[in-house]
Amino acid sequence: MIGKDKIITLLGDTLALNLADQAEAVFAASESGLTRFANSVIHQNVAETQNKVYFRVAIGKKLGVASTNSLSRGDLKAAYRTAVKIGRAQKENPDFVSLPGPGTYPTVETYFDRTAKFTPRSRALKVRSVIQTAARKNCTVAGSLATASGEVAVVNTRGVAAYQPLTSASLSVIAIGGNSSGYAEGLSRDVEQVDVRAVAKAAVDKAVRCADPVVLPPGEYEVILEPAAVAALMEWINYIGFGSKAMLDGTSFMCGKIGQRVTGEAITVYDDGTDTAGVALPFDFEGVPKRRVELITQGVAKGVVYDTLTAARGKAASTGHALTPDSSAEGALALNLFVAGGTSSLPDMIAGVADGLLVTRFHYINGFLDTPNAVLTGMTRDGLMRIKNGRLRGGVKNLRFTDSMLRAFGTVKALSIQRQCINAWWDSLGCITAPAMHLGSFRFSGQTDF
Amino acid sequence: MKDRLLTTRDYLKSKGATYADIRYVRTTTESVKVSNETVDTLARDLDQGFGVRVLADGAWGFASSAICTLGEMRKVAARALAIAHASALTKVRDVSLGPVEPVVGRYETPVAIDPFKVSLSQKINLLSSVNCILRKSPKIKVAEASMDFYRTEKIFVSTEGAIIEQVLTESGAGYTATAVDAGEVQRRSYPNSHRGDYGTGGYELIERMNLKDHAERVREEAVALLTAPVCPAGPRDIIIGASQLALQVHESCGHPTELDRVLGTEVSLAGASFLTLDQLGKLQYGSKIVNIVADATTPGGLGTFGYDDEGVPAQRADLVREGLFVGYLTSRETAPVIGRTPNGTMRADRWNRVPLIRMTNINLEPGDVSLDDLLVDSEGALFLDTNTSWSIDDRRLNFQFGVEAAWEIKSGRKGQLYKNALYTGITPQFWNSCDAICHRDHWHVWGVPNCGKGQPMQTARVAHGAAPARFRNVTVGVSR
Repeated sequence: MIGKDKIITLLGDTLALNLADQAEAVFAASESGLTRFANSVIHQNVAETQNKVYFRVAIGKKLGVASTNSLSRGDLKAAYRTAVKIGRAQKENPDFVSLPGPGTYPTVETYFDRTAKFTPRSRALKVRSVIQTAARKNCTVAGSLATASGEVAVVNTRGVAAYQPLTSASLSVIAIGGNSSGYAEGLSRDVEQVDVRAVAKAAVDKAVRCADPVVLPPGEYEVILEPAAVAALMEWINYIGFGSKAMLDGTSFMCGKIGQRVTGEAITVYDDGTDTAGVALPFDFEGVPKRRVELITQGVAKGVVYDTLTAARGKAASTGHALTPDSSAEGALALNLFVAGGTSSLPDMIAGVADGLLVTRFHYINGFLDTPNAVLTGMTRDGLMRIKNGRLRGGVKNLRFTDSMLRAFGTVKALSIQRQCINAWWDSLGCITAPAMHLGSFRFSGQTDF
Repeated sequence: MKDRLLTTRDYLKSKGATYADIRYVRTTTESVKVSNETVDTLARDLDQGFGVRVLADGAWGFASSAICTLGEMRKVAARALAIAHASALTKVRDVSLGPVEPVVGRYETPVAIDPFKVSLSQKINLLSSVNCILRKSPKIKVAEASMDFYRTEKIFVSTEGAIIEQVLTESGAGYTATAVDAGEVQRRSYPNSHRGDYGTGGYELIERMNLKDHAERVREEAVALLTAPVCPAGPRDIIIGASQLALQVHESCGHPTELDRVLGTEVSLAGASFLTLDQLGKLQYGSKIVNIVADATTPGGLGTFGYDDEGVPAQRADLVREGLFVGYLTSRETAPVIGRTPNGTMRADRWNRVPLIRMTNINLEPGDVSLDDLLVDSEGALFLDTNTSWSIDDRRLNFQFGVEAAWEIKSGRKGQLYKNALYTGITPQFWNSCDAICHRDHWHVWGVPNCGKGQPMQTARVAHGAAPARFRNVTVGVSR
């Protein structure tokens, strides 16, 4: 850890060269480690020390970006000068008004020393316990245990000086039996909140219960989606629907629908970077404070997220969702998404299904098929189960779904009170905190051989 | 820098490492993107650091840092050793590596026009002029044109004596017109979707694309798709355009032939493979005309280099020969499992990632028919062009791809245009239904700049040679 004062001073001193009308420095550093296992053996165990500093300058309405991973004062100044050179070669960006001014940031606990100090040996010992749990049920395991600490800072020439230390810990486990598998995961900023034993047990139990999966034909089924399955759908819904670029480009299912019902009344989705139930961060990569942003409330489209550039184009205000300057062409994205829970529980939801399926998780979803209708496709994975007369009745061979999520979410019968924070498959898309979801109808379009 | 790496290598030897390699990697990236005549990306990045991979106590350790001083290298080397010892807590047997001849060598991508010396204004002007052509229809809501350039300088040293220097230059460009009207969104792209086409080489690759020449057609096709009927569902004969077929090769042959995936070490992310060890030399993967090779020496391919990140020379290897599944992509650790030597496919995304088995140029070899003759012989079939969506199960069997445009073939020509076309199938059944592949005149090596694999996630730049090909009785669309 470098520390707030040193980082703010380093960035401020560089910007003091005063080479542009406005300038911004975004700092992101991490010390991370990841232990990966397969066939019940650690096969990959890595550590990384990385820094990144992005400079964005404005010369009038001309913008330039350059970045470096060296923290030497000479290299930082060189990167700043490169950004200025690029800015001078630019055309004017009519959407640019100004970099943001200083804000007040909510106090959010995002750093846990015990996570930062978690060693490779500590990770290996935790993984060994996962392996032993699986072995007792004749399963092997694959997965990963990652811990990281880092610092994020944003400084600009208008007075922004934001800093936040961060840690994270995540565990994913796939337990594999003879012809079945099961999945579970845990994610927190505090490594002690990741219940390694419970995650391992849940994955192993699922693999055991899914042994000898049966074949079911594709078609329309009543389904219970566990939180990981809901989160995977929401990751794509977020990407194609809730970002400012999709809205401004006219490709989002939210376009022209603000204030109108777009899906079932049971569906409420919001982003809240200040809620530590997710993986919180109190400001975005422009230094704009985070706050709760309503996206869909009781099925009605409420809005999307913006950074300062796209907010100007959309005649809105920044909601505090800017990405790093090198990714700004993507527009703003919601990185701490929440799906509101309901009043039910997973066992009660299962008990309410006469004939249906339970989906543990999805695999390789794609949402580019028909974005105005939010049509997604993907496969089930690691725990598709039959529900008959309110009870789980063993595993089912995996199925492909192709369906409009606006339609499917219009058939919600129940949501669980309990929610789980799930990492997005693409790390850069943040996390989604989701309940289990009971849908009256979900359309499967194909099948596979396992 | 080389001296620091060699000193660190000697330190690791003295500490009892069974094997170690150290890679220094410095990457310069430039991205330019013009959207609706506004430059929304103009960025340059410089990223450098080193990674230390150590085999000790029979297990792997890897550590890396962006701070390239000798003191930091020693500290990181010690950390990698400690991590290897931690990994050994769960080992069942010692990791062993297949033998290779240590290479002292150098490789540099042939470059005619250094892309980093071409002015930004020249790049912006070309992309802006494409934008202008695309935006001549009011139905085109978004015109996006982009270029990306990468220069990667690597030094690799190993405790076995390898010392390899490489300078790789990669360039790419492309554009997309997005037409929007009455709640309908349709896209057409050139030369490919997902930011275009890429290869190893310089700005000459961009010049060869003749970007402006295709913009009018792309615009008109995007607009026409808005009012085109939805592609009818059901079993159809299809001809798949070369760029889409490249992605089909990527997902249904490239990934499943990665031997680390086959052996289970990618299960935790994107899954395993149906090409299990018992299938090698036995499975009729495709029809007799299907030949697929991994060739890291293909001139200009995005998966072309001199040596992989284990120091193994770039080479060509058969994966599918006359339809029979005959080979895997392998590494020094995995090749001995099948009694073979490594075929040079271990690559890492920059300095801070451990090398994994990655695709190189996975090429479907050309056939013997012209596209004109194939169209004449395919009355009523669909011609499917340019990827929009992709999805495949975690053993690479059930796939579904969506394409930007589909045409019904009538009297040897593209007839009725359809929107929202997709096709689905099971990999070996699909490749066994292939009965025609166009000849070399229609064959091109398509760059895929964003292949994801591994944890932490790594992005590799790979490529696929492909020509249009016909497949019989494939499921098109989603039947209700």
